[in-house]
Order: sequence, then C-alpha cells, then structure tokens
Amino acid sequence: MAVYRRGYQRYSGGFTSHAARMMVIPRFSWERILEQKFVVILLVVSMFWPLLCAGFIYLANHTELWQGFDNGFKKFLNIDGRFFSIFMNAQSVYALILASVAGPGLIAPDLANNALPLYFSRPLTRGDYIWSRMIVLLGLLSFVSIVPGILLFCMQVGMAGGDWLWKNWYLGVAIVAGFALYICIVSLVALTSSAYVKWRVVAGALVLAFFFLLTGAAEMINEVFRVGWGSTFNPAYAIKTVWYWLLDLDIPDDKPGPAECGMFLIALTGGLLVLLARRLRPVEVVK
Amino acid sequence: MSASHIVFDNVSKFYGEVLGVNRVDLKIPPGITSLVGPNGSGKTTLMNLMTGLVHPNSGVIQVRGISPYAPEKLMKFMGYATQYDSGPRGATGFDFVSTGLLLHGFPKADAERRAWQAIERVGLTAAAKRKVAGYSKGMRQRIRLAQSIAHDPEVLILDEPLNGLDPLVRAETIALFRDYGAAGRHVILSSHVLQEVDVFSDQVILIANGMIVAEGQIKSVREEIHEHPSQYLLHCKDASRVASLLFAESHISEIKLAPEGQGLLVMTRNRDAFSAALERISLSGIDIDGVIPTDENVDALYEYLIGGGR
Repeated sequence: MAVYRRGYQRYSGGFTSHAARMMVIPRFSWERILEQKFVVILLVVSMFWPLLCAGFIYLANHTELWQGFDNGFKKFLNIDGRFFSIFMNAQSVYALILASVAGPGLIAPDLANNALPLYFSRPLTRGDYIWSRMIVLLGLLSFVSIVPGILLFCMQVGMAGGDWLWKNWYLGVAIVAGFALYICIVSLVALTSSAYVKWRVVAGALVLAFFFLLTGAAEMINEVFRVGWGSTFNPAYAIKTVWYWLLDLDIPDDKPGPAECGMFLIALTGGLLVLLARRLRPVEVVK
Repeated sequence: MSASHIVFDNVSKFYGEVLGVNRVDLKIPPGITSLVGPNGSGKTTLMNLMTGLVHPNSGVIQVRGISPYAPEKLMKFMGYATQYDSGPRGATGFDFVSTGLLLHGFPKADAERRAWQAIERVGLTAAAKRKVAGYSKGMRQRIRLAQSIAHDPEVLILDEPLNGLDPLVRAETIALFRDYGAAGRHVILSSHVLQEVDVFSDQVILIANGMIVAEGQIKSVREEIHEHPSQYLLHCKDASRVASLLFAESHISEIKLAPEGQGLLVMTRNRDAFSAALERISLSGIDIDGVIPTDENVDALYEYLIGGGR
C-alpha cells in the first residue's frame, strides 16, 4: 500500500473559542422557537405586568399626585422587597409557561432523529450540549424575568435617586440571583422532560405538572404528619423562600427556612442533571 | 508508528449484559479499511469506540496518538457519518454542513466556503438550499458524507456510506475514498456490499459476534485460511487436457469443467505448488489464457470465516 506518504495539508488556521461554538446551537434554536406564534404572543403578553409595575413606580415617585391620600395608601405605594416579590411571582408564571412551550422541542427531536452522534462527533461534550440547550431557555426566560426586573430596578433608582439605591441595592441582586435560580430549575425540568418524553404536548404538561404535583405532595406530607417541613419538597415554596430571603422579607417561623430550601434546590438540580446525563447517551444503549 | 495508526489494545465493550465487542486488538494503518460482518456483529460499536461516542469497559484506544477521551482534540481531525438519517429539522443541506463546521470552530466565512466545497464534492450544489427533509435517501446519504468531509479530516469514519446511492454517485464516492486513502488518511467504513468493498479496500476487518475474525489485506487473509482450498478459474482452450495434467498433482482437491468448456474451476490446497504446476503445463506448450483467483475476495472470506464456509 502506497498510502503512508502524507499528501494533505492539515488545517492551520484559527478556530473560534469554545464559548462561540457553544452559541451555534442556541442561535438556531432561538430562530425556530420564535417562529412559533404562541411564543411571540406570550412574550408580548408577559410585558404587560412589567409595564403596569413601571407605571406604579412612576406614581410612587411622584408624591405630588397623591398628596390628598392617607398614610395607608402612601405605604402601599412604597417600592421595596414586597413590591419586587409580587413582580417576580407574576413574571415567574410567564417564564414557566414559556419553558413548558419551548423546552419540549429542544432535546426530544435530537433523540428521535438519532442526532446526538452528530453533535458529539464534533468537539462538543455532553456537558456542552446540555449547557447549550440550557442557554436557549436561559435567554428566553431571562427576557421575561431578569431583563424587565433590572429595567424596573434601574427605573426606580433613576427616579428615587442614590439614597434609595444605597439602602436597597440588595433588591437588584435579589432580582438577578432569584430569577437566575428559578430559570435554572425550570430550564432543567423542561430539558429533562424533553429528554424523557417524546410527545411535545405531554412533555410541556409534565413541566407544569412537576410544580403542581410536588406542591400537592408537599402539602399532603404537612397535613398527614401535621408538620411544616414537608414544604421543603415543594420547589415553588423553596424558590419563593429563597427569594424572600434575598429580598429581606419575613419568612414564617413554622416553615422551612432558606437554608433547608436552598439545600433541597441544590439536590433537585443535581438530580435533574444526573437524569439528563443518563438519557443523553450518544448511541442507543442495548438492554 | 501509533501516531499514524488507529490502535485498539485489548478493547472490550459491553452494553449491560450484551456484548458489543470483545478483546479487540487492532492496528489499522492509513488507507481504506472496511469493516465487514453481519448485522449486530459489532461494526458500529467499533466505529463508536473510535469516535469516542462510547467508551470501552476495558482496554485502550488511540486514534493517531489521540485518546477518544479527548473529544476536543480528536474531533478536529475526525469526520463521522452515522448510518442514521439524523439532522436538525427544517435545516437546508447548506445549513446542515455549515452548522457542523461552526460547531467545529471554523470562523463563519471559512465555514461557508468549506461547506460549499464539500457540497460540491458530493454533487449536491443545486440542492444545497433545499431542506434536508425533502431529500431522497441517496441525497441524504451524500449530505451526511459532505458534513463528514467538510472540515477536511484525517480520519473519516463512515457507517454504511454506500447505501441508497445510485451507481454513478457510488462510483464518485468510491473515488473520493480512494483520494483520501491515497493521501495517507484513514477511511474506515462499514458496508454490506461485499463486491464493492473488495474493489476499493486496502484492508478488511471481518467481525462476527463482537470478535475480530480476521484483519489485513484480503490476499493475506485468504492465504491464512488453510481449511478451505483456494479456488482458481483457468481460461484455456484444451480444458480436458489441463484437467488431466492437474489431477496428477497431489495438492489438487477438485476440478470442475466450466459449462462452455472454455475453462476449469480448480481447487488447490497449496498455492505455490499450483503455480509451479501451471508453469510446467505452460512450458509444455499448452496455452493457458488466464488464471483468476475466485475466492480472494471479501465475499469468499465472509463466507469462509463468518458464513460457515459452505
């Protein structure tokens, strides 16, 4: 065989960075997701509440408009942790619905089409694949959560001034960190659901059911055993508790605190990642 | 040596209790290597092990000196086309190939240029902007080939690459493999079309039940199979006379007259002695127009080593 003589030139040009390569998958996914009318409608609708909140901030910072009102009303118009907790609760619903609509189409088609070997025969690891799929949801859900949250915070800082910022800087951190935590959990639930359930509608329903069912199960534990610690296993409660802690709001004494809830959320994240990694094998495993 | 070879050192892979491949020792040189074996014999597992898509339970693999545990390094010089009809939904042929290049890390302009070159190489330029979902089976096979060669890999691994191709494209594809092989690259492919494998392979690896049955150049593998006599077709005018002379040789086990009387099918247990006998017959003035080995091909090897040697 006269094949040992090398007759080709190796590519000697530069390669793009690892981060740039990771963004190739999300870019195409975003295009496809935004082709869905329901997603676009949902994105538009999700802006209504932030707009109302912006109006509220405007009113709260124009004392001349409510001079004749009593102190109770003045207290109601205060921009504090409670205000942002209400904003975050409302936007989290939109984020959850978006994840249940966009998430199921992210991994299931790759598994159904045996496309994983195609991805993994590139310089891409399983972790990279999960992360690039996560980025799709992180970007989308941030658009209805972190982005309007930060805009509202900045608007309040702009109108109330440096003193307010000095006293309430932690609210900005709470919005970003709280939403980031929520988005991570919801995205992982959506991706895991997409990896295990082939049918898009069922996978979407499973994302919603995950939170409702665990809430029900946690309440059942509390009722049957007449305890409060059952709420730890309620992801919605756990996230809310961490939010309240970040926003410096009161947490009921008889319920699990932020430390227990944080531990549960870390364990939940780990569990979801293990489930995902088990499912995302490049080739079908023969049993 | 191993920096230019693909090396399997005592590699075993089990899927739970199911055997993938067992105790594989291989040293594959550059050139075209065909994996031949029945369905479920472990061909795809071998390919997946080379590409790092699955990892062995035991043993060590090196692909041109790189471990498949280092996909970042390995996939820079490796191209893989699976047998599956896999591809992103809604993507055009061009998107499919250029996205792969972007994932490899090529800058956008470079990726687009290479994508067009690869698509042209497989003859799909006219259909490049059409969606892959609308491609015929053969076109999908070609676009898969295009995505695997687009980054100009040194090691090309192709699972059933000739399936669904029409004769013309098949010939062009084989020419591409030959170009790659001749340039000192590895082309590893699996195929059920044994006659074609025979024509273009520099060496074959026969695999059955997860075990390597034979490996090497077809001729040398055939020479190692002593339990089956070698078969030759002799073209000669005086077939009966040649047959009677050959029957006197102790190494001849069987002679059949060809239907038209224009030749003989001879089976011998000693190739060297057979060559010497033919030389003697020729020197005695009997014309022998041609000698063709009829079982020095993958088909015969497959039959002897895997199919039971009927």
